[in-house]
Amino acid sequence: MELFEMTAASLSEKLRKKECSAVEITRSTLGQISNTEKQIGSFVTVCEERAMQKAEEVDRKIAAGETISPLAGIPIGVKDNICTKDVLTTCSSKMLYNFVPPYNATVVDRLEQADAVIIGKCNMDEYAMGSSCETSYFKKTKNPWNSEYVPGGSSGGSASSVSAGEAVLALGSDTGGSIRLPASYCGVVGLKPTYGSVSRYGLVAFASSLDQIGPLGRSVQDVATLYSTICGRDPMDATSAVREYGDFAGKMNRSVKGLRIGVPKEYFGDGVDPEIKTAVMSGIDLLVKEGAQTVPVSLPSTDYALSAYYIISSAEASSNLARFDGVKYGYRTEKYTNLLDLYEKTRSEGFGDEVKRRIMLGTFVLSSGFYDAYYKRAKQMQQKISAEYALAYSQCDVILTPTSPSTAFKIGERTDDPLKMYAADICTVTVNIAGLPAISVPCGIASNGLPIGLQMIGPKFSEQLLFDVAGCFENLCGGFGVAPAMKG
Amino acid sequence: MQVDILHIAKLARLSIEEEKMEKFQKEMENIVAMCEKMPLMEGDYTAVDPSHPMELRKDEVRPSLKREDVLKNAPQTQAGCVVVPKIVE
Repeated sequence: MELFEMTAASLSEKLRKKECSAVEITRSTLGQISNTEKQIGSFVTVCEERAMQKAEEVDRKIAAGETISPLAGIPIGVKDNICTKDVLTTCSSKMLYNFVPPYNATVVDRLEQADAVIIGKCNMDEYAMGSSCETSYFKKTKNPWNSEYVPGGSSGGSASSVSAGEAVLALGSDTGGSIRLPASYCGVVGLKPTYGSVSRYGLVAFASSLDQIGPLGRSVQDVATLYSTICGRDPMDATSAVREYGDFAGKMNRSVKGLRIGVPKEYFGDGVDPEIKTAVMSGIDLLVKEGAQTVPVSLPSTDYALSAYYIISSAEASSNLARFDGVKYGYRTEKYTNLLDLYEKTRSEGFGDEVKRRIMLGTFVLSSGFYDAYYKRAKQMQQKISAEYALAYSQCDVILTPTSPSTAFKIGERTDDPLKMYAADICTVTVNIAGLPAISVPCGIASNGLPIGLQMIGPKFSEQLLFDVAGCFENLCGGFGVAPAMKG
Repeated sequence: MQVDILHIAKLARLSIEEEKMEKFQKEMENIVAMCEKMPLMEGDYTAVDPSHPMELRKDEVRPSLKREDVLKNAPQTQAGCVVVPKIVE
Protein backbone atom coordinates (compact mmCIF):
# COMPACT_ATOMS: atom_id res chain seq x y z
CA MET A 1 0.00 0.00 0.00
CA GLU A 2 1.28 3.45 -0.96
CA LEU A 3 1.55 6.19 1.69
CA PHE A 4 -1.19 8.29 0.07
CA GLU A 5 -3.71 5.46 0.55
CA MET A 6 -3.17 5.08 4.29
CA THR A 7 -5.21 6.55 7.13
CA ALA A 8 -4.00 9.47 9.22
CA ALA A 9 -3.82 7.14 12.24
CA SER A 10 -1.44 4.69 10.57
CA LEU A 11 0.65 7.46 8.97
CA SER A 12 1.02 9.20 12.32
CA GLU A 13 2.19 5.94 13.90
CA LYS A 14 4.73 5.49 11.09
CA LEU A 15 6.01 9.03 11.70
CA ARG A 16 6.42 8.38 15.42
CA LYS A 17 8.23 5.10 14.75
CA LYS A 18 10.35 6.89 12.12
CA GLU A 19 9.30 4.36 9.46
CA CYS A 20 8.68 7.22 7.06
CA SER A 21 9.08 11.00 7.01
CA ALA A 22 6.47 13.75 6.65
CA VAL A 23 8.18 14.81 3.42
CA GLU A 24 7.69 11.29 2.02
CA ILE A 25 3.98 11.36 2.92
CA THR A 26 3.44 14.77 1.31
CA ARG A 27 5.47 13.76 -1.75
CA SER A 28 3.40 10.58 -2.14
CA THR A 29 0.15 12.58 -1.94
CA LEU A 30 1.42 15.24 -4.39
CA GLY A 31 2.46 12.39 -6.69
CA GLN A 32 -1.06 11.00 -6.60
CA ILE A 33 -2.42 14.49 -7.33
CA SER A 34 -0.24 14.81 -10.43
CA ASN A 35 -1.39 11.34 -11.57
CA THR A 36 -5.13 11.78 -11.03
CA GLU A 37 -5.95 15.49 -10.88
CA LYS A 38 -6.41 15.83 -14.64
CA GLN A 39 -9.09 13.17 -14.50
CA ILE A 40 -10.76 14.11 -11.18
CA GLY A 41 -10.24 17.87 -10.72
CA SER A 42 -10.60 18.04 -6.92
CA PHE A 43 -8.65 21.26 -6.41
CA VAL A 44 -8.92 24.91 -7.36
CA THR A 45 -5.40 25.45 -5.96
CA VAL A 46 -2.71 22.90 -5.07
CA CYS A 47 -0.35 24.27 -2.39
CA GLU A 48 2.71 22.27 -3.38
CA GLU A 49 5.42 24.56 -2.03
CA ARG A 50 3.72 25.41 1.25
CA ALA A 51 2.90 21.76 1.82
CA MET A 52 6.52 20.69 1.35
CA GLN A 53 7.73 23.46 3.69
CA LYS A 54 5.29 22.35 6.39
CA ALA A 55 6.31 18.71 5.95
CA GLU A 56 9.97 19.66 6.35
CA GLU A 57 9.09 21.56 9.52
CA VAL A 58 7.36 18.47 10.93
CA ASP A 59 10.39 16.32 10.12
CA ARG A 60 12.63 18.79 11.97
CA LYS A 61 10.34 18.56 15.01
CA ILE A 62 10.45 14.78 14.93
CA ALA A 63 14.25 14.80 14.54
CA ALA A 64 14.51 17.15 17.53
CA GLY A 65 12.52 14.65 19.59
CA GLU A 66 9.46 16.87 19.99
CA THR A 67 6.04 15.33 20.67
CA ILE A 68 3.87 15.65 17.55
CA SER A 69 0.10 15.99 17.26
CA PRO A 70 -1.93 13.19 15.59
CA LEU A 71 -2.39 15.41 12.51
CA ALA A 72 1.25 16.49 12.20
CA GLY A 73 2.51 15.82 8.68
CA ILE A 74 -0.93 14.65 7.44
CA PRO A 75 -1.99 16.09 4.03
CA ILE A 76 -5.39 17.78 4.33
CA GLY A 77 -7.58 19.40 1.68
CA VAL A 78 -9.52 22.53 2.62
CA LYS A 79 -12.75 23.55 0.89
CA ASP A 80 -12.29 26.77 -1.07
CA ASN A 81 -14.83 28.72 0.99
CA ILE A 82 -12.61 28.50 4.10
CA CYS A 83 -10.16 31.40 4.35
CA THR A 84 -6.45 30.59 4.16
CA LYS A 85 -4.05 33.49 4.73
CA ASP A 86 -2.06 34.33 1.58
CA VAL A 87 -3.69 31.44 -0.35
CA LEU A 88 -6.41 32.07 -2.97
CA THR A 89 -9.93 31.44 -1.57
CA THR A 90 -12.47 31.62 -4.39
CA CYS A 91 -15.68 29.91 -3.26
CA SER A 92 -15.42 28.51 -6.81
CA SER A 93 -16.92 31.78 -8.03
CA LYS A 94 -15.87 34.32 -10.62
CA MET A 95 -16.85 36.87 -7.96
CA LEU A 96 -13.86 35.85 -5.81
CA TYR A 97 -11.54 34.62 -8.57
CA ASN A 98 -8.67 36.76 -7.19
CA PHE A 99 -9.45 36.89 -3.45
CA VAL A 100 -6.44 36.26 -1.21
CA PRO A 101 -7.56 36.43 2.45
CA PRO A 102 -5.43 38.51 4.82
CA TYR A 103 -6.32 36.09 7.67
CA ASN A 104 -6.95 32.44 8.46
CA ALA A 105 -10.27 30.89 9.38
CA THR A 106 -10.15 29.63 12.98
CA VAL A 107 -10.23 26.01 11.75
CA VAL A 108 -7.19 26.70 9.54
CA ASP A 109 -5.33 28.23 12.50
CA ARG A 110 -6.09 25.06 14.44
CA LEU A 111 -4.84 22.85 11.60
CA GLU A 112 -1.62 24.87 11.47
CA GLN A 113 -1.16 24.65 15.24
CA ALA A 114 -1.56 20.87 14.89
CA ASP A 115 1.14 20.90 12.13
CA ALA A 116 -1.24 19.47 9.53
CA VAL A 117 -0.10 19.87 5.92
CA ILE A 118 -2.63 21.87 3.87
CA ILE A 119 -2.26 20.25 0.47
CA GLY A 120 -4.76 22.33 -1.52
CA LYS A 121 -8.03 24.18 -1.77
CA CYS A 122 -10.92 21.97 -2.85
CA ASN A 123 -13.38 22.69 -5.63
CA MET A 124 -17.04 23.14 -4.71
CA ASP A 125 -20.38 24.32 -6.01
CA GLU A 126 -20.25 28.11 -6.33
CA TYR A 127 -20.78 29.61 -2.85
CA ALA A 128 -21.64 26.07 -1.64
CA MET A 129 -24.96 26.23 -3.51
CA GLY A 130 -25.45 22.91 -5.22
CA SER A 131 -25.46 19.14 -4.83
CA SER A 132 -23.14 18.07 -7.63
CA CYS A 133 -20.07 20.35 -7.78
CA GLU A 134 -21.23 21.36 -11.28
CA THR A 135 -21.89 25.04 -10.50
CA SER A 136 -18.18 25.78 -9.89
CA TYR A 137 -16.95 28.63 -12.09
CA PHE A 138 -13.60 26.86 -12.63
CA LYS A 139 -14.21 23.19 -13.35
CA LYS A 140 -16.46 20.20 -12.86
CA THR A 141 -15.05 17.70 -10.37
CA LYS A 142 -15.53 14.02 -11.27
CA ASN A 143 -16.42 11.06 -9.07
CA PRO A 144 -13.29 8.93 -8.44
CA TRP A 145 -15.39 5.75 -8.67
CA ASN A 146 -16.51 6.61 -12.21
CA SER A 147 -15.59 9.88 -13.87
CA GLU A 148 -18.87 10.08 -15.82
CA TYR A 149 -20.62 10.77 -12.52
CA VAL A 150 -20.73 13.76 -10.17
CA PRO A 151 -18.94 13.59 -6.82
CA GLY A 152 -21.93 15.22 -5.08
CA GLY A 153 -21.87 18.65 -3.55
CA SER A 154 -21.31 21.12 -2.50
CA SER A 155 -18.06 19.87 -0.89
CA GLY A 156 -17.43 17.73 -3.99
CA GLY A 157 -13.68 18.40 -4.22
CA SER A 158 -13.20 17.67 -0.52
CA ALA A 159 -14.90 14.26 -0.89
CA SER A 160 -13.26 13.39 -4.23
CA SER A 161 -9.76 14.32 -2.99
CA VAL A 162 -10.12 11.96 -0.02
CA SER A 163 -11.65 9.22 -2.15
CA ALA A 164 -8.93 9.55 -4.83
CA GLY A 165 -6.05 9.55 -2.34
CA GLU A 166 -5.24 13.17 -3.22
CA ALA A 167 -5.63 14.05 0.48
CA VAL A 168 -5.75 11.93 3.62
CA LEU A 169 -8.42 14.12 5.19
CA ALA A 170 -10.41 17.17 4.12
CA LEU A 171 -12.54 19.96 5.52
CA GLY A 172 -15.91 20.67 3.97
CA SER A 173 -18.91 22.75 4.97
CA ASP A 174 -22.48 21.52 5.32
CA THR A 175 -25.54 23.80 5.07
CA GLY A 176 -28.09 21.23 3.84
CA GLY A 177 -26.03 18.09 3.26
CA SER A 178 -22.91 19.45 1.58
CA ILE A 179 -20.51 17.20 3.52
CA ARG A 180 -22.63 14.06 3.89
CA LEU A 181 -23.97 13.90 0.31
CA PRO A 182 -20.55 13.98 -1.43
CA ALA A 183 -19.14 11.68 1.28
CA SER A 184 -21.83 9.13 0.40
CA TYR A 185 -21.41 9.57 -3.39
CA CYS A 186 -17.62 9.14 -3.12
CA GLY A 187 -17.61 6.31 -0.56
CA VAL A 188 -15.91 8.16 2.31
CA VAL A 189 -16.85 9.14 5.88
CA GLY A 190 -18.20 12.68 6.45
CA LEU A 191 -19.40 14.40 9.61
CA LYS A 192 -21.73 17.38 9.82
CA PRO A 193 -21.09 18.53 13.41
CA THR A 194 -23.64 19.98 15.85
CA TYR A 195 -24.36 23.62 14.99
CA GLY A 196 -22.11 25.78 17.16
CA SER A 197 -19.47 23.14 17.87
CA VAL A 198 -17.03 24.30 15.16
CA SER A 199 -16.18 27.97 14.66
CA ARG A 200 -17.45 29.54 11.43
CA TYR A 201 -15.01 32.46 11.64
CA GLY A 202 -13.39 32.68 8.22
CA LEU A 203 -15.97 30.51 6.47
CA VAL A 204 -17.54 32.52 3.64
CA ALA A 205 -21.14 32.68 4.88
CA PHE A 206 -23.96 31.09 2.89
CA ALA A 207 -26.72 30.56 5.49
CA SER A 208 -25.23 31.51 8.84
CA SER A 209 -27.81 29.73 11.01
CA LEU A 210 -27.29 26.42 9.16
CA ASP A 211 -23.63 26.42 7.98
CA GLN A 212 -21.17 24.18 9.79
CA ILE A 213 -17.59 23.17 8.92
CA GLY A 214 -16.81 19.47 9.28
CA PRO A 215 -14.31 16.70 8.47
CA LEU A 216 -14.18 14.04 5.72
CA GLY A 217 -11.86 11.03 5.79
CA ARG A 218 -11.39 7.38 4.92
CA SER A 219 -11.85 6.11 8.48
CA VAL A 220 -14.09 7.01 11.40
CA GLN A 221 -11.09 7.43 13.68
CA ASP A 222 -9.47 9.92 11.27
CA VAL A 223 -12.69 11.92 11.09
CA ALA A 224 -12.92 11.90 14.91
CA THR A 225 -9.30 13.10 15.16
CA LEU A 226 -9.87 15.99 12.75
CA TYR A 227 -13.11 16.90 14.53
CA SER A 228 -11.30 16.95 17.91
CA THR A 229 -8.80 19.39 16.41
CA ILE A 230 -11.27 21.86 14.91
CA CYS A 231 -14.14 21.89 17.45
CA GLY A 232 -14.40 24.21 20.44
CA ARG A 233 -15.45 27.64 21.59
CA ASP A 234 -14.17 30.57 19.54
CA PRO A 235 -14.77 34.14 20.73
CA MET A 236 -14.59 35.24 17.06
CA ASP A 237 -17.86 33.38 16.34
CA ALA A 238 -20.71 34.51 18.58
CA THR A 239 -22.71 31.38 17.69
CA SER A 240 -19.99 28.97 18.83
CA ALA A 241 -21.23 27.03 21.85
CA VAL A 242 -19.73 27.60 25.30
CA ARG A 243 -18.70 24.09 26.37
CA GLU A 244 -15.73 21.77 26.78
CA TYR A 245 -14.86 18.96 24.35
CA GLY A 246 -12.62 15.97 24.89
CA ASP A 247 -10.49 13.84 22.58
CA PHE A 248 -13.14 12.01 20.57
CA ALA A 249 -10.80 9.64 18.74
CA GLY A 250 -9.13 8.51 21.98
CA LYS A 251 -12.46 7.74 23.65
CA MET A 252 -14.04 5.66 20.86
CA ASN A 253 -15.38 2.32 22.14
CA ARG A 254 -17.08 1.03 18.97
CA SER A 255 -19.79 -0.80 20.91
CA VAL A 256 -23.53 -0.80 20.16
CA LYS A 257 -24.74 -3.17 22.92
CA GLY A 258 -28.14 -1.97 24.13
CA LEU A 259 -28.20 0.88 21.57
CA ARG A 260 -31.70 1.89 20.46
CA ILE A 261 -31.69 2.66 16.73
CA GLY A 262 -34.60 4.80 15.55
CA VAL A 263 -35.78 3.95 12.03
CA PRO A 264 -38.05 6.71 10.63
CA LYS A 265 -40.45 5.34 8.00
CA GLU A 266 -40.50 8.69 6.19
CA TYR A 267 -36.90 8.08 5.07
CA PHE A 268 -37.67 4.76 3.44
CA GLY A 269 -40.56 5.87 1.22
CA ASP A 270 -41.23 5.61 -2.52
CA GLY A 271 -38.74 8.30 -3.44
CA VAL A 272 -35.84 6.21 -2.18
CA ASP A 273 -34.15 3.79 -4.57
CA PRO A 274 -35.05 0.19 -3.47
CA GLU A 275 -31.39 -0.81 -3.73
CA ILE A 276 -30.49 1.92 -1.23
CA LYS A 277 -33.24 0.88 1.18
CA THR A 278 -31.94 -2.71 1.11
CA ALA A 279 -28.32 -1.66 1.69
CA VAL A 280 -29.24 0.64 4.60
CA MET A 281 -31.52 -2.00 6.19
CA SER A 282 -28.74 -4.64 5.91
CA GLY A 283 -26.41 -2.15 7.59
CA ILE A 284 -28.89 -1.75 10.43
CA ASP A 285 -29.21 -5.58 10.68
CA LEU A 286 -25.43 -5.84 11.13
CA LEU A 287 -25.66 -3.50 14.14
CA VAL A 288 -28.65 -5.42 15.53
CA LYS A 289 -26.59 -8.65 15.42
CA GLU A 290 -24.00 -6.78 17.54
CA GLY A 291 -26.56 -6.11 20.27
CA ALA A 292 -28.44 -3.00 19.11
CA GLN A 293 -32.23 -2.94 18.77
CA THR A 294 -34.44 -1.03 16.35
CA VAL A 295 -37.32 1.24 17.32
CA PRO A 296 -39.81 2.60 14.76
CA VAL A 297 -39.93 6.41 15.02
CA SER A 298 -41.71 9.07 13.01
CA LEU A 299 -40.57 12.43 11.63
CA PRO A 300 -43.83 13.39 9.89
CA SER A 301 -42.78 16.87 8.69
CA THR A 302 -39.89 15.54 6.59
CA ASP A 303 -41.94 16.20 3.42
CA TYR A 304 -41.84 19.93 4.12
CA ALA A 305 -38.17 20.06 5.09
CA LEU A 306 -36.87 20.94 1.61
CA SER A 307 -39.30 23.87 1.37
CA ALA A 308 -38.34 25.21 4.79
CA TYR A 309 -34.67 24.68 3.97
CA TYR A 310 -34.74 26.56 0.66
CA ILE A 311 -36.65 29.46 2.17
CA ILE A 312 -34.44 29.87 5.25
CA SER A 313 -31.12 29.25 3.48
CA SER A 314 -31.94 31.48 0.50
CA ALA A 315 -33.21 34.27 2.76
CA GLU A 316 -29.94 34.24 4.67
CA ALA A 317 -27.92 33.92 1.46
CA SER A 318 -29.60 36.95 -0.12
CA SER A 319 -28.50 38.97 2.87
CA ASN A 320 -25.01 37.42 3.25
CA LEU A 321 -24.16 37.78 -0.43
CA ALA A 322 -25.10 41.47 -0.52
CA ARG A 323 -21.48 42.22 0.44
CA PHE A 324 -20.19 41.13 -2.98
CA ASP A 325 -20.56 44.40 -4.81
CA GLY A 326 -17.21 45.07 -6.51
CA VAL A 327 -16.04 47.58 -3.91
CA LYS A 328 -13.98 45.88 -1.18
CA TYR A 329 -12.73 42.66 -2.80
CA GLY A 330 -13.12 40.29 -5.71
CA TYR A 331 -14.46 40.91 -9.19
CA ARG A 332 -15.43 44.38 -10.42
CA THR A 333 -17.13 45.05 -13.76
CA GLU A 334 -15.12 47.03 -16.28
CA LYS A 335 -17.62 49.64 -17.48
CA TYR A 336 -20.16 51.43 -15.29
CA THR A 337 -21.87 54.79 -15.17
CA ASN A 338 -22.73 55.17 -11.48
CA LEU A 339 -22.65 53.27 -8.16
CA LEU A 340 -25.88 51.31 -8.72
CA ASP A 341 -24.71 50.37 -12.19
CA LEU A 342 -21.40 49.19 -10.69
CA TYR A 343 -23.24 46.98 -8.18
CA GLU A 344 -25.66 45.54 -10.69
CA LYS A 345 -23.13 44.77 -13.42
CA THR A 346 -20.55 43.38 -11.01
CA ARG A 347 -23.08 41.05 -9.39
CA SER A 348 -24.70 39.99 -12.67
CA GLU A 349 -21.33 39.16 -14.25
CA GLY A 350 -19.73 37.73 -11.09
CA PHE A 351 -22.42 35.31 -9.87
CA GLY A 352 -23.52 32.15 -11.69
CA ASP A 353 -27.17 31.27 -12.38
CA GLU A 354 -27.76 29.05 -9.33
CA VAL A 355 -26.41 31.74 -6.99
CA LYS A 356 -28.62 34.35 -8.67
CA ARG A 357 -31.63 32.05 -8.38
CA ARG A 358 -31.11 31.63 -4.64
CA ILE A 359 -30.43 35.33 -4.01
CA MET A 360 -33.67 36.12 -5.84
CA LEU A 361 -35.65 33.45 -3.98
CA GLY A 362 -34.30 34.84 -0.70
CA THR A 363 -35.10 38.40 -1.72
CA PHE A 364 -38.60 37.31 -2.71
CA VAL A 365 -39.45 35.49 0.55
CA LEU A 366 -38.22 38.43 2.62
CA SER A 367 -39.86 41.10 0.48
CA SER A 368 -42.73 43.22 1.72
CA GLY A 369 -46.03 41.32 1.66
CA PHE A 370 -44.50 37.84 1.39
CA TYR A 371 -42.54 37.55 4.64
CA ASP A 372 -45.35 35.97 6.70
CA ALA A 373 -46.39 33.56 3.97
CA TYR A 374 -42.90 32.19 3.39
CA TYR A 375 -40.12 33.06 5.83
CA LYS A 376 -42.24 33.01 8.98
CA ARG A 377 -43.90 29.76 7.92
CA ALA A 378 -40.49 28.18 7.27
CA LYS A 379 -39.20 29.24 10.69
CA GLN A 380 -42.32 27.75 12.30
CA MET A 381 -41.70 24.56 10.34
CA GLN A 382 -38.11 24.55 11.59
CA GLN A 383 -39.41 24.58 15.16
CA LYS A 384 -41.83 21.74 14.37
CA ILE A 385 -39.09 19.60 12.82
CA SER A 386 -36.85 20.17 15.87
CA ALA A 387 -39.73 19.13 18.17
CA GLU A 388 -40.30 15.95 16.14
CA TYR A 389 -36.62 15.03 16.52
CA ALA A 390 -36.80 15.71 20.28
CA LEU A 391 -39.78 13.38 20.57
CA ALA A 392 -38.00 10.69 18.55
CA TYR A 393 -34.93 10.90 20.84
CA SER A 394 -37.17 10.16 23.83
CA GLN A 395 -37.60 6.71 22.27
CA CYS A 396 -34.18 6.04 20.70
CA ASP A 397 -30.48 7.00 20.98
CA VAL A 398 -29.59 7.45 17.32
CA ILE A 399 -31.55 7.62 14.04
CA LEU A 400 -30.37 5.77 10.93
CA THR A 401 -31.43 6.69 7.38
CA PRO A 402 -30.06 6.66 3.85
CA THR A 403 -27.79 9.70 3.22
CA SER A 404 -29.38 10.26 -0.19
CA PRO A 405 -32.31 8.64 -2.03
CA SER A 406 -30.02 7.60 -4.90
CA THR A 407 -26.36 7.04 -5.69
CA ALA A 408 -24.35 9.65 -7.64
CA PHE A 409 -25.97 10.79 -10.89
CA LYS A 410 -24.34 11.45 -14.25
CA ILE A 411 -22.69 14.78 -14.98
CA GLY A 412 -25.23 17.06 -16.66
CA GLU A 413 -28.20 14.83 -15.77
CA ARG A 414 -29.87 17.27 -13.34
CA THR A 415 -28.47 20.68 -14.29
CA ASP A 416 -31.60 21.72 -16.19
CA ASP A 417 -34.03 21.12 -13.34
CA PRO A 418 -33.28 22.81 -10.00
CA LEU A 419 -36.02 20.87 -8.18
CA LYS A 420 -34.54 17.54 -9.28
CA MET A 421 -31.13 18.71 -8.08
CA TYR A 422 -32.58 19.84 -4.75
CA ALA A 423 -34.19 16.40 -4.23
CA ALA A 424 -30.73 14.88 -3.61
CA ASP A 425 -30.77 16.70 -0.24
CA ILE A 426 -34.11 15.35 1.00
CA CYS A 427 -32.52 13.04 3.61
CA THR A 428 -29.93 15.54 4.88
CA VAL A 429 -31.61 18.96 5.22
CA THR A 430 -33.66 18.22 8.37
CA VAL A 431 -30.41 17.70 10.28
CA ASN A 432 -29.26 21.28 9.52
CA ILE A 433 -32.71 22.65 10.20
CA ALA A 434 -32.62 21.08 13.69
CA GLY A 435 -28.91 21.88 14.27
CA LEU A 436 -28.07 18.20 14.91
CA PRO A 437 -24.87 16.24 14.21
CA ALA A 438 -24.89 13.45 11.59
CA ILE A 439 -22.27 11.23 10.02
CA SER A 440 -22.40 9.45 6.66
CA VAL A 441 -20.54 6.14 6.28
CA PRO A 442 -20.31 3.90 3.21
CA CYS A 443 -22.65 0.89 3.48
CA GLY A 444 -22.34 -0.95 0.18
CA ILE A 445 -22.03 -0.70 -3.57
CA ALA A 446 -25.03 -0.38 -5.89
CA SER A 447 -25.46 -2.33 -9.14
CA ASN A 448 -24.08 0.69 -11.06
CA GLY A 449 -20.81 0.22 -9.16
CA LEU A 450 -21.20 3.39 -7.07
CA PRO A 451 -21.12 3.65 -3.27
CA ILE A 452 -24.18 4.00 -1.02
CA GLY A 453 -24.20 6.09 2.17
CA LEU A 454 -25.74 5.34 5.58
CA GLN A 455 -26.56 8.41 7.67
CA MET A 456 -26.46 8.31 11.48
CA ILE A 457 -28.17 11.25 13.19
CA GLY A 458 -27.78 11.99 16.91
CA PRO A 459 -29.07 14.54 19.42
CA LYS A 460 -27.09 17.81 19.80
CA PHE A 461 -23.48 17.31 20.91
CA SER A 462 -23.66 13.50 20.61
CA GLU A 463 -20.64 13.25 18.28
CA GLN A 464 -18.95 10.71 20.56
CA LEU A 465 -21.95 8.38 20.24
CA LEU A 466 -21.92 8.82 16.44
CA PHE A 467 -18.22 7.93 16.29
CA ASP A 468 -18.85 4.83 18.47
CA VAL A 469 -21.71 3.58 16.29
CA ALA A 470 -20.00 4.49 13.00
CA GLY A 471 -16.76 2.93 14.29
CA CYS A 472 -18.56 -0.31 15.19
CA PHE A 473 -20.16 -0.36 11.73
CA GLU A 474 -16.78 0.27 10.09
CA ASN A 475 -15.28 -2.74 11.92
CA LEU A 476 -18.22 -4.92 10.88
CA CYS A 477 -17.80 -4.10 7.18
CA GLY A 478 -14.02 -4.35 7.24
CA GLY A 479 -13.11 -0.67 6.79
CA PHE A 480 -13.15 1.79 3.92
CA GLY A 481 -10.45 3.06 1.55
CA VAL A 482 -9.63 4.96 -1.63
CA ALA A 483 -11.84 4.33 -4.68
CA PRO A 484 -10.84 1.08 -6.46
CA ALA A 485 -9.74 2.86 -9.66
CA MET A 486 -7.46 5.21 -7.66
CA LYS A 487 -5.39 2.60 -5.80
CA GLY A 488 -1.61 2.79 -6.10
CA MET B 1 -47.97 32.48 -7.60
CA GLN B 2 -46.70 34.88 -10.23
CA VAL B 3 -43.23 36.12 -9.35
CA ASP B 4 -42.25 39.58 -10.58
CA ILE B 5 -38.70 38.66 -11.56
CA LEU B 6 -37.77 42.16 -12.75
CA HIS B 7 -38.78 43.70 -9.44
CA ILE B 8 -37.03 41.01 -7.35
CA ALA B 9 -33.87 41.24 -9.46
CA LYS B 10 -33.83 45.00 -8.98
CA LEU B 11 -34.14 44.63 -5.20
CA ALA B 12 -31.25 42.14 -5.28
CA ARG B 13 -29.11 44.41 -7.50
CA LEU B 14 -29.03 41.83 -10.29
CA SER B 15 -29.92 42.11 -13.93
CA ILE B 16 -31.19 39.11 -15.86
CA GLU B 17 -30.34 38.70 -19.54
CA GLU B 18 -33.34 38.92 -21.86
CA GLU B 19 -32.90 35.36 -23.18
CA LYS B 20 -32.74 33.86 -19.68
CA MET B 21 -35.75 35.72 -18.34
CA GLU B 22 -38.35 33.08 -19.20
CA LYS B 23 -36.24 30.25 -17.79
CA PHE B 24 -35.61 32.09 -14.51
CA GLN B 25 -39.28 33.00 -14.26
CA LYS B 26 -40.40 29.39 -14.67
CA GLU B 27 -37.77 27.96 -12.33
CA MET B 28 -38.52 30.50 -9.62
CA GLU B 29 -42.24 29.81 -9.88
CA ASN B 30 -41.63 26.06 -9.58
CA ILE B 31 -39.52 26.59 -6.46
CA VAL B 32 -42.11 28.93 -4.96
CA ALA B 33 -44.83 26.35 -5.76
CA MET B 34 -42.83 23.71 -3.86
CA CYS B 35 -42.51 26.09 -0.91
CA GLU B 36 -46.24 26.80 -0.89
CA LYS B 37 -46.99 23.17 -0.04
CA MET B 38 -45.96 23.87 3.55
CA PRO B 39 -49.01 23.94 5.84
CA LEU B 40 -50.04 27.14 7.59
CA MET B 41 -49.09 27.07 11.25
CA GLU B 42 -50.07 28.91 14.40
CA GLY B 43 -47.74 30.50 16.92
CA ASP B 44 -44.44 32.29 16.69
CA TYR B 45 -40.85 31.05 16.52
CA THR B 46 -37.77 31.71 18.60
CA ALA B 47 -34.81 33.01 16.62
CA VAL B 48 -32.17 31.77 19.07
CA ASP B 49 -31.72 28.28 20.52
CA PRO B 50 -32.62 28.82 24.21
CA SER B 51 -30.41 25.92 25.39
CA HIS B 52 -27.33 27.42 23.70
CA PRO B 53 -27.60 31.19 23.87
CA MET B 54 -24.99 33.28 22.12
CA GLU B 55 -22.24 34.88 24.12
CA LEU B 56 -21.26 38.21 22.63
CA ARG B 57 -17.70 39.43 23.01
CA LYS B 58 -16.98 42.63 24.90
CA ASP B 59 -17.00 45.81 22.87
CA GLU B 60 -13.39 46.81 23.41
CA VAL B 61 -10.54 48.25 21.39
CA ARG B 62 -7.98 45.66 20.31
CA PRO B 63 -5.56 45.08 17.44
CA SER B 64 -7.08 44.36 14.02
CA LEU B 65 -5.81 43.77 10.49
CA LYS B 66 -3.53 46.39 8.98
CA ARG B 67 -5.18 48.81 6.55
CA GLU B 68 -2.84 47.92 3.68
CA ASP B 69 -3.53 44.20 4.15
CA VAL B 70 -7.28 44.76 4.03
CA LEU B 71 -7.07 47.02 0.98
CA LYS B 72 -4.91 44.56 -0.98
CA ASN B 73 -8.06 42.86 -2.26
CA ALA B 74 -9.94 46.01 -3.24
CA PRO B 75 -10.31 46.51 -7.02
CA GLN B 76 -9.43 50.21 -6.81
CA THR B 77 -7.86 52.19 -3.96
CA GLN B 78 -6.46 55.65 -3.44
CA ALA B 79 -4.83 57.23 -0.37
CA GLY B 80 -5.79 54.28 1.84
CA CYS B 81 -9.45 54.26 0.80
CA VAL B 82 -11.56 52.23 -1.63
CA VAL B 83 -12.63 54.14 -4.72
CA VAL B 84 -16.28 54.17 -5.88
CA PRO B 85 -18.12 56.30 -8.45
CA LYS B 86 -19.31 59.71 -7.28
CA ILE B 87 -22.50 59.36 -5.20
CA VAL B 88 -23.36 63.00 -4.37
CA GLU B 89 -23.68 65.83 -6.83
